[in-house]
Order: sequence, then C-alpha cells, then structure tokens
Amino acid sequence: MNRTGTRILGKNRHTTDKLFSLALLLPAIFITCAFILVPIVDSIYRSFLDYRVRNIINNEPGVWNNFQNYLNLFSNGKLLPSMKNTLIFVFGVVIAQFILGMALALVLNTGIKGSRFIRSIMMVPWVVPTLISGLVWMWMFQAQYGLVKYLVDVVTGGRVTDFAILNNPATAMFGVSCAALWKQIPLATLLLLAGLANVPDDMLEAAKMDGANAVQRFFFITLPYMKSVIKVTVTMSIIENFKQFPLFWTMTGGGPNNSTTTMAILSYREAFVSNNFGSGAAVTTVWMLMMVVVVFIFNRIFRNTDM
Amino acid sequence: MKRNRLKGSIIKWAVLVVILIFLLFPLFWVLITSFKTNMEAYKYPPTFIPQEPTVESYISLFTENNEFFIYYKNNFIVAGSCAVLTTLIAVMAGYALSRFHFRWNQWIVAAFTSAQMFPIISRLISLYKLLGDVNLINTRVGLILAVMAAQIPFTIMLMSSFYDGIPLELEEAATVDGAGRLQILFRVVAPLVKPGMLAVGIYSFLLSWDDYLHASTLIQTDSLRTLSVGIALRYLGELSYDWSLINTISIVGTLPMVILFFFFQKYMVKGLVAGAVKG
Repeated sequence: MNRTGTRILGKNRHTTDKLFSLALLLPAIFITCAFILVPIVDSIYRSFLDYRVRNIINNEPGVWNNFQNYLNLFSNGKLLPSMKNTLIFVFGVVIAQFILGMALALVLNTGIKGSRFIRSIMMVPWVVPTLISGLVWMWMFQAQYGLVKYLVDVVTGGRVTDFAILNNPATAMFGVSCAALWKQIPLATLLLLAGLANVPDDMLEAAKMDGANAVQRFFFITLPYMKSVIKVTVTMSIIENFKQFPLFWTMTGGGPNNSTTTMAILSYREAFVSNNFGSGAAVTTVWMLMMVVVVFIFNRIFRNTDM
Repeated sequence: MKRNRLKGSIIKWAVLVVILIFLLFPLFWVLITSFKTNMEAYKYPPTFIPQEPTVESYISLFTENNEFFIYYKNNFIVAGSCAVLTTLIAVMAGYALSRFHFRWNQWIVAAFTSAQMFPIISRLISLYKLLGDVNLINTRVGLILAVMAAQIPFTIMLMSSFYDGIPLELEEAATVDGAGRLQILFRVVAPLVKPGMLAVGIYSFLLSWDDYLHASTLIQTDSLRTLSVGIALRYLGELSYDWSLINTISIVGTLPMVILFFFFQKYMVKGLVAGAVKG
C-alpha cells in the first residue's frame, strides 16, 4: 500500500520521508537503546568483571577476573538448582495455563448463557498487581488460619491438619505456581477465545457430517486453525514466567531451603542483597541464554509440526 | 446421542464452575476478610460470612497507616506519566513503522522484539550505575524512563497495527490541501486511532502500576517509593503480618485497576487481542 503511496506523491519526497520517519522513531529508539539495549550489553560485559557495590561507591572500574563469577556459581552449587527450579516453574505454569485457559475458552466459545458477563468478570485477576496477587494467595495458604489449610483439613477428614503449602520444600513451588496461574489464565483465555473465533464453522460442521467426533474435530480442525494464536500465547507466557520475580520474592523469598530459588531470585540476591553485581550479571547472562534457547526450541518445534 | 449431550453439558459446566471459582474466589475471600474484625480474621476455622461486619481496618489504613497513601500517590504519578509518555512515543513511532517501509524497519522491529525478552534484573544491574552517573538514580524521572522503556517495544507494535487499518487516501487529500506532515499526523490521522491510543495508554498504566523491580532498585527514599515496594517494605514484616491490614491494602491497591478495566475493557481487550494476534 505504501509503495504506491510514495509513487503518487513523487520520488523527490523519498529523502524527506526518510528524515521524517527517522525523527518520529528517534524518541523510541533512544529510550530503547539507553534503557534496554545498552544496559543489557553492559551487564553482560560486567559479568566478566569483579564488580561490587564498592566499585560504584569509590568510582573504580571492575577488574577482569577470568570467568571467576561463572566458575564460582557452578562450584558453590547455586546455579544448577536454580536453573532447574526456573525450568520446572516455567514448564509447569505454561502447560497448566494452556490447558486450563483452553478449557475455559472452549466452554465460553459454545455461547453458554451469560458468557459475555463471564468473559469480563474473569479478567479481574489479570489486573490485580503481581505483588498483591502474591499477598492474596499467601492469605489463602496462611499456615495458622488460612482457608486452604481448613479445606484440606475438612476434605481429608481431619487427617491433615497442618497443611502449609509454602513452608514445605516439596510443595512451595506449587503454591507459587497457583498464584502465577491465577493471574495469567485470564489473558491466555482471552487470546485463545480470539483464536477460536477464527476457526471456520462450516469446516467443523462438515467434519461433523463426516462422522468426526468432538475430540477429533478439536485436534484436526480447531487446533491447526489456531496455530498462530497458540504460538503467540505460549511464547508470551514462556517469557513472562521466565521473568517472574515479585511472586517468589514475597511469597517464599526463594525458600524454604532454596526450593523456590529461581534465576530471578538468585540474580537479585547476588546483585542487590550481596551487592556483588558481577556475580548477579553472570546469573542474568546464563538466564538470558536459557530463555533464548527455550524460545528458539519452541519456535522450531512449532514450525516443524504440522498441527 | 441425547445421553452424550447431557454428559457433555455436565462436563462443560463443571469445567466452567471449577475454573471460575479458582479465578474469582480468592479475591472475594480477601474482600470478606477486609470487613472482619482482627479477632475474627484470626479465627480458625475461618468464618465465611463476617459475623460483625466492620470497616475498622479501612479506618485504620486512612488514619494510622496512611504512609500507604504516599506510595499510592507516587504510583499514580509514575503510572500516569508512563501512560501519557508511552502513548505519545507510540503514536509517533507506530506511525513511522506503519507508513514508511524503509530497510531499517526490519532491524528496528527485530531490536524491539528482542528488547522485550530481556530480564529486568539484567538491565537494572547496569542501570543502577548508569543512572547514578547521570544523577537520575533515586528520582522519579529516572524511574519513569526505566519503567517506560520496558513497555515501548510492545506498545509501538500495537499502535502500528492500528495505523495499518487507516486508508492512505486521507493523508494524500490533506497533503494536497497543503497541510504539513506533523499537522497531518496529529490533526488528521491520530484522531482516527483513538481506540489504539486508549488501548496503549491503559495497557501502559496497568503495567506501570504493577512495577516492583524498577522501583525496588532505583528508588531509595521512602517518600518516592511506589505502591508494590512500599507495601513490601513497610507492611510485610519479617515474622508476622498484620493480615487485616494487608487484606485491606490488597483491596485498595487493586481497586483503581478494576475500575479502569471495567470502564475501558472494550478498548483494552480489542487492542490486546489485535496486537497479540497480528504481532
């Protein structure tokens, strides 16, 4: 469309077009470079330096330390468990979110009574600030007078009376995941609903005539038509959960016994609690690599499967 | 056949009810608790309906614990500024990306797309020093710019998809009439993408309202702290929490977002869906 546009307006406008376009983009480019791209490159560079808070106070540059930040993280056994925790959290939440979001979207798409109302009311958890959604679930899970403790007590007939999900290393990750799912399912449902609207009804009808049952129709018609929406929804969810920080920080602080220490918690602790910025930067560098690899693999799988 | 249909409809309702309870009940539970007396909130087993409903904890929030409202006000200032500035930048940059197709566009788009992936902590480790060098650390301006930066990539893509839907003929007519380029953008085209501006502005407000990490590292003065960090540092003690107060804070801290959402959901939902599905 634009090509023809420029031709109509004449070729001599090409240069002024360029200047005008650049001028409009300039603020965005400046802020993105100054506050995202430069800091990222800078922090990767600092991950190779011995660089602590005293360097900032005394205004001394960091000193190259032969990958010591990375080596330390591996040798003191901090990095690998938090990589594992991050992956467990991301995959658990992304998969659960997709299944539950899809289930809700499918139900709402059948046009049941009040679906418009449900669509808007279900979005409420999405607008709750992350820190507060952590507080909401901490109150649900509270160890002395929490509702979940009471419900577990009732359901198990009084056998489990001290259920405290966040205080137990085996279950704490699940507890934080509940809060994450709670906040994220609404948006996933909304996007998947938009995808479902693009599935042509006549295709589904024709398949039904040919004797395909509901499950077959879902896997062979609905899913393939939603491919691009699913891809966007899942990619967004992978990135968001990789970055999750406030929920862990308020709900468990990475504990108990480091069972919920993810890359986010580890890097924050190294950089802003132990004031060792070099080491924190090393964690975030590994973290970014992990994210790139996971997103890349995901896109690869998506391109190859003919779903 | 009929039996199958009944079974299907039971499953459908069961799925709906279970997921909706999961999504809606926790906030409802917090709301109920905020109207209980402190004594009743700490009762076990818990009561499902407040026995003597009271606004005690709301009064205490307004009178005794009103530092909360400093953070609240700061959050409004930061989120509001971010929303306005982000929208302005997206209106300009989105137009450029949608209307002019130069070779650098794909590089800019690639840079924007990758920029939203990077973890905030990685940026902050470096920004802590960089903002210190230009005296923007521990200032509202520094915080606003850092928070905005995280939203600019997505909002520009979103905005440019709105411009794609506006026919070029309008601008050509205006050019023939002798209008300047900026005039055309702000007087002729921008008014047509108002829904997009609303979507971008509200989305940006929502994300800035939610910020925790930027403020926790870039701000050290208590009077400049924003909501999430203020709550975490002042009201979440090491050992025990004052749960009535925290539940009240949760409700008051969420309320503006819920109101905003219900007023503008049409724009937000449409905008986000358009941006995500196209972009």
